[in-house]
Amino acid sequence: MHEFSIATQVLEAAREAAADHGSDTFEGITVSVGDASHVNPNQLETCLEAAADSTIGDGELDIEVETEPAYAECDCGWSGEPETIDRALAYAPDLTCPECDERIELAAGNECKLMSVTIPDGAGDSAGTEEETPDATSPD
Amino acid sequence: MYQTYDFRHHDANPIDRLLDRLLGENDAPGPLQAHRMGHGDGDHEHGEDAEADILAQFAEQADELHERVVHEHGVFVAEFLGATGSGKTRLIERLIERAPDDQEIGVIVGDVAGEDDATRFREQGVSVANVNTGKECHLDPSLVEGALEDLDLDALDTLYIENVGNMVCPADFPLGAQARVLVVSATEGDDVVRKHPLLFQACDGAVINKVDIAEAVNADLDLMESDVSEIAPEMPTFRTSAEHGDGLDKLAAFLDERGHTHDHDHDAYVGETGHSHAHDHDDNSHADGHEHAHSHD
Repeated sequence: MHEFSIATQVLEAAREAAADHGSDTFEGITVSVGDASHVNPNQLETCLEAAADSTIGDGELDIEVETEPAYAECDCGWSGEPETIDRALAYAPDLTCPECDERIELAAGNECKLMSVTIPDGAGDSAGTEEETPDATSPD
Repeated sequence: MYQTYDFRHHDANPIDRLLDRLLGENDAPGPLQAHRMGHGDGDHEHGEDAEADILAQFAEQADELHERVVHEHGVFVAEFLGATGSGKTRLIERLIERAPDDQEIGVIVGDVAGEDDATRFREQGVSVANVNTGKECHLDPSLVEGALEDLDLDALDTLYIENVGNMVCPADFPLGAQARVLVVSATEGDDVVRKHPLLFQACDGAVINKVDIAEAVNADLDLMESDVSEIAPEMPTFRTSAEHGDGLDKLAAFLDERGHTHDHDHDAYVGETGHSHAHDHDDNSHADGHEHAHSHD
């Protein structure tokens, strides 16, 4: 049920991002759903399809929904993907640090994020001004 | 043909995958360009992307409520969630009963339909705002804001929010409370904790209610409590029989402590809302009226 309201917010964010780049429409979006969020990725995809309308683009909106694993960092220095709690009947990350037994909180994997928006070429900014392709591959 | 604007962080794998896909390693039509949006600083932590995380927007709305009710008006806020019939209303009634006479209490009660719960609270003489959620399966900050119009925040010391009976949806929609209390009952089956692990992880305290009839329904309370501590380490559990008024002392003390600890450790609240976000807190900005003269007999 709330996947639909999340879908409409995703599309709104995509609309804004497209507008920021000078486009009224967008052709595709990629959304990332954290494994430890309460969002069902399949339902979200269905809702995105349902919520997308002709103001978005001429053809069908290309929707990609990815999932992202949980990730936590502990003050003791441990970081990584927490184990799954086996006893639980539904997925949940084990929030006990495997090194020091302290409670850890997730730094990632409980979000639902708009990852990218694809807009028609020529509708956006002049070519080259925003392009960061080479930089994007080099880690800091 | 297309330009793709990419919100990802400096994270080699997703970027590599995206660029592979876009720059001709596969069937993608036409030249495509990947653009990273708005994250000029490669050092920034994952989790601060409030704009990109749709769920963080809900958390931010909750923060705004929190700021307004707790900080600007000095009201202590506790939210109660749980399945229909778990005992949320009875529990809140008991907390209202034992409160000192000079404590002004308000209740926002969300219910699918009707005013039954609201009527019970009104009969206790507290201010009540009823919210009928209808087909909406959870309270959200905007519904709570609407309800606040019916309450006088300047007069209140304490606000209890009773969420709609639902063990699934409220998890992602914090309401800005200083304590989120999940109420389960022995009659729901002693595997109820294991069925809803993410919800337990999203809350600050758990109540196991109806302990007086646990035996009659074959519910192993020790098991339930140990499930909570495995799934949500360090989260306190309170065994109660709201109907008989048992077990309320510790719950009330916990709520009291949440209110006062909050004054001194705001990070604990922020950290537990489940979505990290930058939230500056200036201790000097607390309202002065945050005093609770609780007597626990």
